[in-house]
Amino acid sequence: MTDTTSLIAPGHAEAATPIAPGRTPWKQEAIGFVLGFALLALLPLIFGDTYARHILIMAFIYAIVASNWDLSLGYGGVFNFGHLALFGIGVYAYSLLTKLAEFDPWIALFASGVIATLAAILVTIPILRLKGIYIILVTFGFAQLVMQVIISQSAITGGTQGLVRIPGLYIFDHNMVRDGKFAYFYIALALLVASTLFLRVFVRSRAGASIVALRDNEEYAVSRGVSIVRQRMLTLAASAFFTGIAGAFYAAYQRNASIDVFGMSLATIILSMVLLGGTSTIYGAIVASFVLTIFAEWMADFGAWRPMITAVLIIGVMLAYPSGLVGMIKASWGAVAGRLKRPG
Amino acid sequence: MSALAEILFGGLFQGSLYAMMAVGLALVWTTIGVFNFSHGVFMMLGAYIAWQLVELGLPAAVAFPIAVVVMAGVGWILQASVVRPLIGRPNIVLVVVITTLAAGSLIENGALTIWGPRSKQIPALIAGNATIGGVGVSLHQIAIIVITPLILAALWMFLNRTRLGLALRAVAQNEDASHLVGLNVTALYGLAFAIAASLAGLAGIFMGGYRFMSPVMGSDPLLKALIVVVFGGISSISGPIFAAYLIGFFEAACSYYFGLYWTPALLFGVLILTLMVRPEGIFASRSRGLA
Repeated sequence: MTDTTSLIAPGHAEAATPIAPGRTPWKQEAIGFVLGFALLALLPLIFGDTYARHILIMAFIYAIVASNWDLSLGYGGVFNFGHLALFGIGVYAYSLLTKLAEFDPWIALFASGVIATLAAILVTIPILRLKGIYIILVTFGFAQLVMQVIISQSAITGGTQGLVRIPGLYIFDHNMVRDGKFAYFYIALALLVASTLFLRVFVRSRAGASIVALRDNEEYAVSRGVSIVRQRMLTLAASAFFTGIAGAFYAAYQRNASIDVFGMSLATIILSMVLLGGTSTIYGAIVASFVLTIFAEWMADFGAWRPMITAVLIIGVMLAYPSGLVGMIKASWGAVAGRLKRPG
Repeated sequence: MSALAEILFGGLFQGSLYAMMAVGLALVWTTIGVFNFSHGVFMMLGAYIAWQLVELGLPAAVAFPIAVVVMAGVGWILQASVVRPLIGRPNIVLVVVITTLAAGSLIENGALTIWGPRSKQIPALIAGNATIGGVGVSLHQIAIIVITPLILAALWMFLNRTRLGLALRAVAQNEDASHLVGLNVTALYGLAFAIAASLAGLAGIFMGGYRFMSPVMGSDPLLKALIVVVFGGISSISGPIFAAYLIGFFEAACSYYFGLYWTPALLFGVLILTLMVRPEGIFASRSRGLA
């Protein structure tokens, strides 16, 4: 009896350890971070064709949006369903700044991030006192409001027609259009690196710990002097900056903007990336973005069946592994490690 | 006079449809505590099933009730497959959002594959037109305005006067105590979803009778139903019903005076103001419970 418990207990205790921010030593994480992104930077050498680079660029954009959403949704526990509106604001801010105000594209890219951050602060005001489902409804309403305003101001925004011929990014005299998307690939990767670095540093900081504390035990955190108003605003503002920049980059890369970015289908896909990856990890959302984007490409032959297969898979994973792909990997790793340990 | 009649009529008509949708959302929320994002798809599916049955040669009077009953079954199955397995999980609200969204996408694309993207229309409840107070209206719309309050009253009677309805309310108020007194909570969860789905299906049949149907026809009504439940308070049945009619009138008045483009923006402005002042909705009490 005692023998079996001593065998099971260590593994069990390991599995029960909560994944708190700052658990992994930062040196280990830094090595993994550098290696992971170095691998991504070498990918164009393996996949030679332009189309593969296009798919990876899209995966990088989705990864930025999804991992930033994980900050508010996973770490902050704020059910912000207006996250895609922040992305859309980035798209339209960049388009209008470059097209109408004739800003330099790089300045417009940065300004879009700032504008999205300001919008996030604005939407935080009505939700400061709300909880749970009401936050979903208000932020959802905010997203719809932004879309309706863009549609109704069709003289400036192009309405449902959208905008075309948006100026792209530039690097000195380099030809961005005829380089097989190499320049855009590395700009997208650089943005993802910057965003991920920012998110990881943020969640490992004291501020990151305090927003997790607010999520897990609001009364206790408040009684220990954490300001719910300030931290909630900080969470949403922090999650908005790179989301807005990703939107701006998306507009610069696609050279057009449409109100589709506010639609339910994109929101569903990005949300499934966050949840499939496993919330409160940042990396989970990034991995899931790659998996889902590449998976969607693989299934291109299935045509109309593709969204249905994706839907069934999302439901399946959510039912079997509510903590997402990261939970799935952890569970299978735990099983493998358990087997390896047993003989010794 | 004509302006007033137009607003009154438009408000009553839109309000009826919103009420049918919102009541189902509120019913599911109060009993199970989750938000069903496939509710709009229920509406679409109800309309398509009715269309298919009429197409097969059944008279509308037979086809429509069958479609509503089939939708009750669909609601039950959806609940059993993507909601029930998650009950008791800590992050159930969030996970159910994604599973119901995914299930909605599955059904929507399924409908697109089976019936194709071409617009369809189902026969009106009553054919013909009439002129009331200087406003031309179709008899179909008048039928909806008359039938909806009857159905909502029947639902109210069911929830307040029958044992089954009382059991449903008991689960909404206190799930643990309902277990203790021997209520079959799982079956009641299924029942709540079944009622919600059949009401949405009926709303779809109503809508398919005066507007062309498409596989995405449910998304806008779902959005409006969301606003209605926020506005009226999600924790009751009567709150959303009042709010549905109020918003129906508000929309009709706004689009009459300010034009169709500004109506959604004004509506959301009112919504956000409401939530800042009274987060629980204007007609709601602070406790959770049906009726």
